[in-house]
Amino acid sequence: MILDIISAALILLGGVLSLAAALGLLRFGDLLSRMHASAKPQVLGLLMVAVAIGIQYPTWSTVTTLAIIISFQLVTIPVATHMVGRAGYRTKHLRRSMLYRDELAEAVDRAEARELAWERRRGTGTDPNDG
Amino acid sequence: MSQIVLDTLVVVASVLLAASAVMALYRIIRGPSILDRMIATDVVLASIMCGLGGFMALSGRTDLLPVLIVLAMLGFVGSVSVSRYVSKSDSMTPGAEVGSLSDFTSSDWHMPQESADGSQTETGSTTGQPTEADGGEEWPDDVARGISDVADGPDAVTVHDDEEPVTVGLDQGTDPDAEGEGLGIGPDPGPDDSDDGDRTGPEPEEEEGGSR
Repeated sequence: MILDIISAALILLGGVLSLAAALGLLRFGDLLSRMHASAKPQVLGLLMVAVAIGIQYPTWSTVTTLAIIISFQLVTIPVATHMVGRAGYRTKHLRRSMLYRDELAEAVDRAEARELAWERRRGTGTDPNDG
Repeated sequence: MSQIVLDTLVVVASVLLAASAVMALYRIIRGPSILDRMIATDVVLASIMCGLGGFMALSGRTDLLPVLIVLAMLGFVGSVSVSRYVSKSDSMTPGAEVGSLSDFTSSDWHMPQESADGSQTETGSTTGQPTEADGGEEWPDDVARGISDVADGPDAVTVHDDEEPVTVGLDQGTDPDAEGEGLGIGPDPGPDDSDDGDRTGPEPEEEEGGSR
């Protein structure tokens, strides 16, 4: 019975994290802020729910399947979030006024300057591969 | 007594999950861009996964564990595919940011249709330099040092016509007319300009006017 209450409390914590993410989605005003809010239940909430399942049914098949699910989430969620943020940066879906530092802009400027210098040195104008 | 506590915890958890799913659905409907909708879809999917896991923990249906794997993979594939094919021409719903953080005006969104002089502000904003974005404000000291230490930074590009002051990567000793395919002397084109002309990255042609 104690284990039942512990697992129910873990599920409740998962629900609290999910609610926090939804509140962040509602209240934050930027794509990057919403990404910051939405990453919590995807990893930590699901980890808590998985621990609850593992407490209730501690068999090897259940625990290994839960380990597969958690490791899959831990691998794929940063990749997906990185791609969303990269697409958001490149398509200007962010507010410049909410950024304290934009370090990627400096890297983009350096890369563009390097490309310009290379094209000018070749003397052929723009790269024909650039469309 | 403990049964009452258990039932209360379960009811509260289900109410929280339902509320989070409803709020994320509101963001899907109202979201300014498709990326916001994608993030809200991920949150809905996380809520569904948490609710399904709780159902499995409380009812013993551990045969539903592959459904969790399928949902996780669905969220990953959806996010990656949508963010891969999002483009700059995707419209943002105007006025959708009113309900959140009302002290930011809509001109903060650097979208072409939001501003009247779209092309001019676009070339100004795509460079992302703080000197143009903040109205001639000085760069921080560490940023200025970081730029000036780089040999092929933006300052070295303004020197043109003669070849020597421009230091470009690795091809100092080689013939610049040698079009070796495998030399690797060119700039890294990145992973995105290999398929079509509609890439979403900053184009170097239009950046030439903006970066000087």
